[in-house]
Amino acid sequence: MRILRLEITKGEAVRYISHLDYSRAVERAIRRAKLPVAYSEGFNPHMKMAFASALSLGVTSDAEYLDVEVKTEISAADFGAALADQLPPGIVFKAIREITAQHAALMAVVNLATYRINVPPPDEGFDAAQGSVIAFNQAEEVLYVKESPKGNKQIDVKQYIAGDVGLAAAPEGIALEMAIKITPTGSVKPSAVLAVLVEQFGLAVDPAAALINRSGLYVLAESRRLSPLEV
Amino acid sequence: MNRPDPAVLSQVSKPARYTGNEWNSIKKDHSNLDVTFALAFPDVYEVGMSHLGLKILYHILNSRPDTVSERVYAPWVDMEEAMREKGIPLCTLESGRPLSEFDIVGFTLQYELSYSNILNMIDLAGIPHLTRERDENHPLVIAGGPCAFNAEPLADFMDFFVLGEGEEVVGEIAAVVGTWKRAGKPGGRAGILELMAGIDGIYVPSFYDISYNDDGTLAAVTPNHPAARPAIVKRIIRDFDQAAYPTKPVVPYIEIVHDRIMLELFRGCTRGCRFCQAGVLYRPVRERRPETLLRLAQELVDSTGYSEISLTSLSSADYSCLNDIVHKLSEGLADQGVSLSLPSLRIDSFSIQLAQEVQKVRKSGLTFAPEAGTQRLRDVINKGVTEQDLEEAVGAAFQAGWSTIKLYFMIGLPTETDEDIRGIADLSHKVLDLYRQVKGRRGAKITVSVSSFVPKPHTPFQWYGQNTASELDRKQQLLRSLLKDRSISFSWHDSRISFLEGAFSRGDRRLGQVLYAAWCHGVKFDGWSEHFKYKVWMDAFEETGIDPEFYARRERRFEESLPWDHLSPGVDKSFLLREYQQALAGALTADCRRAACSDCGVCQGLGVDVVDWGGWA
Repeated sequence: MRILRLEITKGEAVRYISHLDYSRAVERAIRRAKLPVAYSEGFNPHMKMAFASALSLGVTSDAEYLDVEVKTEISAADFGAALADQLPPGIVFKAIREITAQHAALMAVVNLATYRINVPPPDEGFDAAQGSVIAFNQAEEVLYVKESPKGNKQIDVKQYIAGDVGLAAAPEGIALEMAIKITPTGSVKPSAVLAVLVEQFGLAVDPAAALINRSGLYVLAESRRLSPLEV
Repeated sequence: MNRPDPAVLSQVSKPARYTGNEWNSIKKDHSNLDVTFALAFPDVYEVGMSHLGLKILYHILNSRPDTVSERVYAPWVDMEEAMREKGIPLCTLESGRPLSEFDIVGFTLQYELSYSNILNMIDLAGIPHLTRERDENHPLVIAGGPCAFNAEPLADFMDFFVLGEGEEVVGEIAAVVGTWKRAGKPGGRAGILELMAGIDGIYVPSFYDISYNDDGTLAAVTPNHPAARPAIVKRIIRDFDQAAYPTKPVVPYIEIVHDRIMLELFRGCTRGCRFCQAGVLYRPVRERRPETLLRLAQELVDSTGYSEISLTSLSSADYSCLNDIVHKLSEGLADQGVSLSLPSLRIDSFSIQLAQEVQKVRKSGLTFAPEAGTQRLRDVINKGVTEQDLEEAVGAAFQAGWSTIKLYFMIGLPTETDEDIRGIADLSHKVLDLYRQVKGRRGAKITVSVSSFVPKPHTPFQWYGQNTASELDRKQQLLRSLLKDRSISFSWHDSRISFLEGAFSRGDRRLGQVLYAAWCHGVKFDGWSEHFKYKVWMDAFEETGIDPEFYARRERRFEESLPWDHLSPGVDKSFLLREYQQALAGALTADCRRAACSDCGVCQGLGVDVVDWGGWA
C-alpha cells in the first residue's frame, strides 16, 4: 500500500463550494488524470482518499492536505504533474510526497490551523478595532454558544486560540490573523471567533462581508509548526 | 463584470449556484466577438444544469469563433430578494455580465409552469418585458423547446421562437445576427426580425394578428408582414449520428439533479402513446450508430471524470443495439470505475436482464410505467403493454433480487371511469403479492406515483377537456382509500397545479395578460409546490377577465382552429384526429419504427427517414 500526501489550494474561484463539493471536484480531477488510485470494496466503491480537515463553504485555503492511496508504481512527481493539469479553476497543486504506511492519518496529526479574515473597514476606525482585539486577547475565558442540529453547546472559545489574535490594516479594510487549535474533543470555526469579536467585544464590522482564508494547517510539536508534508 | 458581493453570497443558500468557474465552462474575451448569446433556463441551477438541450447549444455556439455563449439560471428566492434589494442585475455565470448587454437571450421552454420565472428573469435582467417595448439596443429575447410548439401564451414577451431541433438553426441565428450587427443594424429591430422570419423554423409572433370568434374560440391567425409565412415547420436533424454532441460538458461543483454523463442514444420515439407530446414533437426516430456512441462515451469519461453514464433517450430500452452497447460499455468502462444507468425500462423481462447487467451490484430500485390501471384504458392511450408483461417483468426483477419497485400512472385520461382507478390499486396489490409468491415472504416496497393528465397541443388528446381539479382530487382520494397496504406508498400531484398547466398548455395569446398580471402579483417557481400561489393565479384570471376553464376544461370541436395549428411539428392534424378516434375505439396503432408506417406525415413532409441500426429480429 502506497500513500501519497498532497498539498493543494482552495482559491477564490471555488470559495463557495462545500467540503463535499471540493472533495468531489478533486476526485473527478484524479479520474480525468487517469491516476491509479485505490477504491474501497463493496456496493458503493469510493476513492481511498482522506482530507486533513474539512473546510467550510465560503472559506478559501492556501494549503489543504489529502492522502491518496495508489495501486501501482507511480512516482509522486508524476502523480502531481498529471493531477495539476486536470484540477479545476481555483484548485492549484502545490506539493506532493510519498509517506509510509506507518504514518498517522492526516486527520489525527493536524492540530493547528491559521486563518486570515479580511473585513471591510470597521465603522469606528482602526483604533477601536484594535481595542476590541486586545480585550479579546486579554480575556481569560470567552463563552460562545455553538449551534448545531444536535443542539446548542456552550464552549470557551479561548481554549482553542493559540497565542494572540492579530490585527493589521489591509488594502480594503482590516485583516485578523489567528491560530486555532484542532483538538480530539473539538475546535472552533474562525467565523465563530469573528462573531464573538463582533457581538461581545464591539468590533464594528459586518461579519457577513468577511472573507476567510485558511493560511495553513500544521502539526504543532514541541512548539514547532510543521507542515503535514514535513512530518 | 458584475459579481455578487460576499455579503450577498454568504447569506444565500447554495451560493455556488451563482459563482460558475466549473470545469469545462468556457470563458471568451467578448471584445473580439460578433455575437453574445445567453442561454437561459428558467429554473434553479441544479435543474437547468441537468438539461441536455442547453449543453448541446452551449457547445455548438461556443465552437463558433465569432460567438460566445454563456449560461444563466433562475436565482432562488433568497438570491432574488438580495439582488432586488441591492440593485444587482441578472448576470451570466461565465463573464458575470448583465443579460441586458447580450445580443440574444434564449430561454428553453420545458414546461408551462416555468413561464412566470421567465418573466421574472427578464425583469431581473432589466430588459423591457414586452417585445413591443424593445428596440435594437436591447437583446433579442427568444425561446425554443417543446412548449414553443404552442408559443402563443408567451407571444407578447418573445421576439421570436425556434421550433424543433436547435443544432443547426442556432448557428444560423448567430450568423444572421452577426452580419446584421456588422452592417450597422440595418432596419433596426424590425430589420432583424424580418431577417429571422426568413430562417426555416423561426416564428416571429408580432408578424401575426390573432382574431377570435364571439364564443371566444380562435377565428384566424393572419400574417401582417410580408416576411411572415402562413405556417412554421419545425427544424429537424436528418443525420443525427453526425450531429454535434457536447463531449466536454460543464462539470458542476454542487450536486445537480442529473449529476452524470448523459449519452443520447437516439432522438424521437414512435411508440405512439397518445398522451405524449414528446412522441409527436421529436418524430421520427433517429438512432446514433453504436460505434459513435462508444466513442462519445469514452470522450465524455475522459473530459468529465464522472463515474456514471446514463443512456438517455425518450425510451432508451428501445435502442436497436442496446444489448450490444451495454455489453461493450460495461466491458470497456468497468475497469475505469464507470457504471451505467438506464433511465427508462420497457415492461418486459428482456429489460430486466439488461437492468441486471447495468446494476451489477447495487439494486437501487426499478421504475415501470403502466400509465393506466386497466387493459381497456391502456389500449385507449396506445400503451402497448399487458398485465402479463408487467407481471413477467416485475417477477423477473424480484427473482433477480430487486425489491423496490415504482409504478407510474396517470389519472384523468380520456374515457376513464372509477373502474380504471380501482385497476391501479388492483395492479399495485398484484405486484406486491407477486413478491410473496416469488420470494416466499413479504418485503417488497411499492411506490405508486400518480400524476394528473394534462392534454397537450399536437397530441391525439389535444381536443380533450381536462378533468376538473375537484374530479382529480376525488380520484386521488378514491385511489388512496384503496391502497391500504403499508408496503405501498402513494404519491400524487397537486391537482390545482395540473389545472394551471392545463390552461397554459392549450392557451392562446390572451393568456399573456394573465401571466403578466400573476407575475406582477408575485408568482414564481410555480412548479415548486412550496411556492405555488393558486389564489394569486386565480385572481389574475379574474382581473383580466379570462376564464381558465375555457382552456383547461373545454372539449374542442374537431373543426375548431387551434392556437397552435400554424406551428407544425410536421405531423398532420388528420393523423392526430385519426388517433383520437382510434383511442375512443380502444384500437391500437403499431410503432412505425418496426411495423407499418402509420402515415403521420412527418417523414414525407420533412424529407427525413427513420434511422434504426439494428433491424428487427
